[in-house]
Amino acid sequence: MTIPAQRVPGEPTGAAAPAMSLRGLVKHFDARLAVSGISLDVPAGSFYGLLGPNGAGKTTTLSMAVGLLRPDAGQAVLLGYDVWHSPSEAKALVGVLPDGVRMFDRLSGPELLAYHGLLRGMPADVVDRRARDLLDVLELRAAGRTLVVDYSAGMKKKIGLACALLHAPRLLVLDEPFEAVDPVSAALIRDILQRYVTGGGTVVFSSHVLEVVERLCSHVAIMSDGVLRLHGTLAQVRGDRPLQDVFVQVVGGRVATGSELAWL
Amino acid sequence: MAVSVGSFVRLKLRVTGNGLRGRPARIAVFVLGAVAAGFAAVAGYAIFAVPGLLEEPRAAALLFPFGGAVVVLGWLFLPLLFFGVDDSLDPAQFALLPIPRRRLLAGLGVAALAGLPALATLAATAGTVHSAARLGGAGAAFVQLFGILVGLLLCVAVSRALTSAFATALRSRRARDLATVLLAVVAASLGPAQLLLLGMVNRADWEGAARIAAVVGWTPLAAPYTMGLDVVAGQAWAVPLKLLIVLLVIAGLLFWWSRTIEGAMAGTAGSRRRERTGTADTRGPVDRLLPRWAPRSRFGALLARETRYWWRENRRRATLITLAVAGVFLPVSTAFGTQGAGAGGLAVLVGAIAPIGLANQFGYEGSAYATNLATGVPGRLEVHSRAAAHALFTLPMLLLVAIVTGFATSRPESIPAQFGTLLATYGVGLALVLPVSVVFAYALPDPNTPFALSSGGGISKALPSLGSMVGALLGAVPVLVTAYLLGPAWLWLGLPIGAGYGLAAYLAGSHLAGALLDRRMPELLSAVSTR
Repeated sequence: MTIPAQRVPGEPTGAAAPAMSLRGLVKHFDARLAVSGISLDVPAGSFYGLLGPNGAGKTTTLSMAVGLLRPDAGQAVLLGYDVWHSPSEAKALVGVLPDGVRMFDRLSGPELLAYHGLLRGMPADVVDRRARDLLDVLELRAAGRTLVVDYSAGMKKKIGLACALLHAPRLLVLDEPFEAVDPVSAALIRDILQRYVTGGGTVVFSSHVLEVVERLCSHVAIMSDGVLRLHGTLAQVRGDRPLQDVFVQVVGGRVATGSELAWL
Repeated sequence: MAVSVGSFVRLKLRVTGNGLRGRPARIAVFVLGAVAAGFAAVAGYAIFAVPGLLEEPRAAALLFPFGGAVVVLGWLFLPLLFFGVDDSLDPAQFALLPIPRRRLLAGLGVAALAGLPALATLAATAGTVHSAARLGGAGAAFVQLFGILVGLLLCVAVSRALTSAFATALRSRRARDLATVLLAVVAASLGPAQLLLLGMVNRADWEGAARIAAVVGWTPLAAPYTMGLDVVAGQAWAVPLKLLIVLLVIAGLLFWWSRTIEGAMAGTAGSRRRERTGTADTRGPVDRLLPRWAPRSRFGALLARETRYWWRENRRRATLITLAVAGVFLPVSTAFGTQGAGAGGLAVLVGAIAPIGLANQFGYEGSAYATNLATGVPGRLEVHSRAAAHALFTLPMLLLVAIVTGFATSRPESIPAQFGTLLATYGVGLALVLPVSVVFAYALPDPNTPFALSSGGGISKALPSLGSMVGALLGAVPVLVTAYLLGPAWLWLGLPIGAGYGLAAYLAGSHLAGALLDRRMPELLSAVSTR
């Protein structure tokens, strides 16, 4: 843990090193600038929501943060380990749920969990015990030998989350964990994540569902067009307005005046 | 508001035209298709007209039934191969419109007639009319003309009914997987079937062929194309009977089509069936993933997942099937063709072809590689586990090839040495293919559409893997030279020398591939992810 605590003004200062620390991340796709110089500190023990409209660069940022996408510039430090210089140490402490990425979906749910567990170097009996627990809690036991490719979208999210949780990581990075999840499962996932944070874990997740973010998060960052527009604790970002208003204003969306679509 | 049959035709032409607008690549493909159709039409006409020009009724009696059957079978199978290419009038698009089913069938049928394939077929089979006129005069020509028109109707009915039925059947992933595998089997057996056919032709038995042709002429496949010949042969009584056969078949196909089209119109909405649920499996997750013998480690997990994928992923399964068919048929067919001389050489070819299935191994599962990347699997481990899983399937197959070759050439004593040579080629091939798979990886189309063809640049993408195949053959030359120099001693030394050579090559190649992979894991993930 040699990373000096670099503090952004306005950030609540804690003695502990940040769980995730991004410095000047840049990514081009051909000519398009997808992410332009994002710097962000995620305090350990926080529930951090990354908000932004579609195409804001959330997935690109998180992919660079966990080592799935090589940034053109900048660095990402997870729990004190640089993802690109000491990847194995960093990756061992992090659980990832990518979005828009396939899983090894020709395995059944239990097989996929066992695969993840063994890849993480866990002993077989621990993998078995935890996998059974997760399948029970996430109500995936009933799927039996169904291959993950035949799961519904919500079930795929749940098995993906189970895979990310299996090795009890200290940091969870989740890309759109509530997308396509039914309300009952969403409530379940929220409970699990909240208990995880209470137990000392850190969660970073992206979403464009403001209600979820407002309900869960201790910290919020708002992105658009590859730039971090606003970040801090929920109270700092929100002020005394609804998060919805802040979001629309920061992102620069248009507000209906009432004159268009008058025939509707 | 009633929809006339003509509006279906107009709609089809409009959709085709709009599809071309402003897309040079599409236009080029369309022009190529038109040229190919024109070529097929001219060539078909010429071939069918030859018996008439030569005044050879016996040739016509052979050619028309077989040629006609090929045309109908073409209409049967080509739409399956190119399913989705001509989706200009997909029944699903009419699901929400208030069109009576009878009119919909008529419209879609007529629209199918207004296309390049139908025109080309008509033009090609018109050659039979030419022949009939030369052989039997105006009467025969008229009957034959009627025959080819009915034949065209049959072709369209066959293809429409079958695609419609398939659209319903292909809804479940399991059925789509099966279809891909069947297609692979068909494609893989084309070569051997051709050899078999050539063999039959060589053993020319014209009497037998003529008898078969006469029978084929009475099946719906060729009945429409032999009517004119019956007039020529003075058995005009056969014409109404054949007509009845064909019309009955067309009616049956149309009935089948009308039954399946509603399923096809419903599209992929709804009708999700649960597959394989409930069966109690009390084993723990780890035991479900790993076979008993596999180590409970990272390597074991990777190996087990990879072996599962060779069975469960349809493209990989297709690769294995093709390899198996090629591996057995290449040596056997050449052994029979050349009295055993060429079989050994072709067996070596099998060893070089085998690793090609790994040339784009990371493309098979695409972005799922993110799992291995996020969990930090080292490059060397990744490469070894993948090669080991492939060898698990390939080595028994190579042994089989060696045994088959040994017996096909009546030299069973050469089996161990032959196996050694195969191992050497396979090892060199792996050594070349593994780095290629890391450096030249590319994204494959969505694996859930069975007939999706990979998009563009096929040749340039395939070049590295073809290069490594040639390289594997060249790399095996030292072993072959050693075999030649050692003479009879090779029978004993072939296996250890070949295995050692192959293993050494593999170790060097996998070492390089692992180092390359360590350096470019995220780039590899981007390369195989479809955007």
